[in-house]
Amino acid sequence: MMRGHRAFHRMLWPALALIVALGFTMALVLRPLPERPETPAPAMQPG
Amino acid sequence: MSAGYRAVQWNARKLVYDALLIAGAALFIATFMIIGALRNPPADPPAWIGLRIKALGTCAFVMLTIILTIGPLARLDARFLPLLYNRRHFGVLTFLVALAHVYSVIDWFAAVGAVGDLITEFTDNPKYGQFIGFPIKALGLFGLSIMFLLAATSHDFWLAFLSPRAWKALHMALYLAYGVLVMHVALGVMQEDRRVFIPVLLGGSFGLVTLLHAVAAWREWQGDRGVPLRPGNWIMVGPPNSIPNRRARIVTAPDGERIAVFRDGLRIGALTNVCAHQNGPLGEGRIVNGCVTCPWHGYEYRLEDGCAPPPFTEKLATHRVRLRNGVIEVDPEALPPGTKAAIRVPRYPFTRE
Repeated sequence: MMRGHRAFHRMLWPALALIVALGFTMALVLRPLPERPETPAPAMQPG
Repeated sequence: MSAGYRAVQWNARKLVYDALLIAGAALFIATFMIIGALRNPPADPPAWIGLRIKALGTCAFVMLTIILTIGPLARLDARFLPLLYNRRHFGVLTFLVALAHVYSVIDWFAAVGAVGDLITEFTDNPKYGQFIGFPIKALGLFGLSIMFLLAATSHDFWLAFLSPRAWKALHMALYLAYGVLVMHVALGVMQEDRRVFIPVLLGGSFGLVTLLHAVAAWREWQGDRGVPLRPGNWIMVGPPNSIPNRRARIVTAPDGERIAVFRDGLRIGALTNVCAHQNGPLGEGRIVNGCVTCPWHGYEYRLEDGCAPPPFTEKLATHRVRLRNGVIEVDPEALPPGTKAAIRVPRYPFTRE
């Protein structure tokens, strides 16, 4: 690669990697919680 | 090397490379589908299409990850250079697998009778302003569009038409496509399926690509530093025997461009480090049959004047070389392409085969 390409590559890749790493982390942290299965209602006690 | 435009220049090495690529991709997809079907048997045709979507999408992502590791791996270890040889075919096949993934998505919507919903997802979707829930199909289509552009311009015709410099800059858009597709998966399947291996594999793939690029960039940066200059601004390379026979030492000129100083026995010559074909690192190549040979695609140049042997017409800029006090020095000022500049050094005590 020529000097210009190397300089461009060295700027582009870390900037892009940082943005994607941030996006990936946010996507992981903000994942919606899994839906919990509905618990059966407690049976009425007799009497 | 090209003497003129030819549609395709096949050779046995390319055919073997392509056959292994196609077999590998087919094996991956088949294995994914068989294991997927055994673990969770699809109940109906749309479920089968769903499995196909996952198999093709995963395969395309893995292939793209491998493509992006080839460059830094080849810089770190020459044993990976054969993978670089036909990397463009790898890229085109990856695009075709990704295209089959998109076709399967359309197929799924057609199978459930909801093609209109697919169109609405693109054209009338209130979730474009959200992060979680962002329409992942739009991300996927954007990534695929970049891959299409790169696949369509991958042939040497476009390399010559656009010039290696513009072509190389255009093809750096693959990084953008990869970033977009990481987010396509992170906001798509990673949100729907909470099994731990999905973020581990996705983050691991992205981390591996990033780490390899960082290590390769660090090594390159180290090599670009600390060039001792002699009076008159000639660059000191070292004694002739410090240059491995039929190989080169790469030095960096004050303007940042690299120069490959080759030794072929007693002959020493300096060429630009940038191959005329695809800007490959010429100085990482070898002298084969008397010609400097680019490690990427085998383009050849004569050491004495930087010209490709007939009938080829490529020419490289050369640099003047001199032997002073037992040390090889190179003039950082480039000579016009094709200028004779190599020298012959005395046998003793300067060289050692």
